[in-house]
Amino acid sequence: MAAREPSRYMARALPRALGSTARPQGIACRRFASDEAPARRLSSQMDELETASSLEGTVSEDVAKSFDPVAQANSRKTQLPRSRYQFRSPKYYRGPLHPHQPPPPSDPSSRVFVPGPFSSPRAQQTYTSTIAQDILALCYVHNPPGFKPPPKAPRLREWDDSPPTIRTGPSVDRVVERITIHSHVKGAIKENSSWLHVAGMAIQTISNVKVTTYKSKTSVPSWGVVPGRDTCAVKAELQGENMYHFLGKLIDVVLPRIKDWPGIKGSSGDSSGNITFGLAPESVAMFPEIEVNYDMYPPKMIPGCHITLHTTAKADKDAQLLLSALGLPFYGKMIN
Amino acid sequence: MALHNPLRRTAATITNSTTTSMLLSSTPQTTGPSTAAATFICSQCRHATLLRRPKRPYTFTQLITLSDGSTFTHRTTSPAPVYRTTRDTRNSLQWNPSSNKLRGLEDDEAGRLAAFRARFGRSWDAAAAPPSAIAADPKDPVAQKAAEEAAKAQEQAAQEEEDNLLDLISSFGQEEASSGKKKKD
Repeated sequence: MAAREPSRYMARALPRALGSTARPQGIACRRFASDEAPARRLSSQMDELETASSLEGTVSEDVAKSFDPVAQANSRKTQLPRSRYQFRSPKYYRGPLHPHQPPPPSDPSSRVFVPGPFSSPRAQQTYTSTIAQDILALCYVHNPPGFKPPPKAPRLREWDDSPPTIRTGPSVDRVVERITIHSHVKGAIKENSSWLHVAGMAIQTISNVKVTTYKSKTSVPSWGVVPGRDTCAVKAELQGENMYHFLGKLIDVVLPRIKDWPGIKGSSGDSSGNITFGLAPESVAMFPEIEVNYDMYPPKMIPGCHITLHTTAKADKDAQLLLSALGLPFYGKMIN
Repeated sequence: MALHNPLRRTAATITNSTTTSMLLSSTPQTTGPSTAAATFICSQCRHATLLRRPKRPYTFTQLITLSDGSTFTHRTTSPAPVYRTTRDTRNSLQWNPSSNKLRGLEDDEAGRLAAFRARFGRSWDAAAAPPSAIAADPKDPVAQKAAEEAAKAQEQAAQEEEDNLLDLISSFGQEEASSGKKKKD
């Protein structure tokens, strides 16, 4: 590649350097003084153009008869290299105007293609077959014609410009949208990065999703956290199949095993339908994936985590209804 | 100047005729740096974003057997094919608040279990006085009498129960024999 570069430029520059100024007049109607600059001169490219069209010429009989692609393919002794018949996505996305565009992510030949889903998780089946209808009926608000509900102050300010996600109307179904497993690793700040590696592996193991690490944004002097320097947290985002598998496993296997677990606190929620609860390190160790290979993890480094259940419900009350139907118990005063 | 900046250098070769003539002469002095200059290796630049392949951990299909025998499969990173739970939603009190079995209570209305224990074991359990007797105030004669009566009745019931059980054991072979005789007749 490196050796080829100068020769390419040389081929283009040679006619210019030798001073060939044979330029057919009248091809371009308008001429500018800057066209005569060596960089803009089109003469060499114009010389290279063929005058005859390929569509006009006739093919001789014997050439047409000898053309037999099937026979040629059959006579081939070895298979063609993959690059001859398989489309390969470009490694880089070079903008919308680049001629070599990567295929959409749903295309199997795309580099970012993720196959699946391969299974229908039990929690999802339960949701679609039994819970969804009940939630829809329970959350239904009937406004008779002529009735105007009293205006409510918006919790968040209005988005004035065109919205980043276009919604046709308020969604009526309450679904668990995604689950975030977040773990703040104190040891990674105070000691070394091994805490972070163990925490990342543990969270990946229980969630089936690769984790991302995060640096602190704020300074906490008592913890010795400096913003931008210390990587202090691990997070996994679960969606779709992984999410439902995790939810089912959490509800059916892990939470019942926690000693004296009272349930999720009724006041845990951000008042827009996302509910968070925490798991202690001992509880994280109870996941079957960690339990089966418990010796792999240094016992003191197994992290605790916060699990946030993001639902499409607009209020915490609806989210609590949905999650308690899925099998998560709540305790204490329910705060909307 | 051009030699120091590799990316600029290639641009200069296109426009500048002096560098072209330098390339044409192709002295060993110029070819060395020019080949190094022509390599366009940029790890990450603004006009080309790398399409990273998503990394996913390998998952296995695992069969989870709950404590009541019901099963379901799920995808996990755990390589064990079967997982048996000891404690899950089917046998934890949090999910079954109305189950007396899980609360450690037993409904022994007729006192049969207590009677059995009095005879065959767990005497530390059966020896305790019945709850009605404990509740009775020793100063109140009426209550005391009632408690005594209750205790007597309890004892009697236990005795009867015992007899019934003994009858059952003793009459086990005979009934069969008699029925056999009948059949013969």
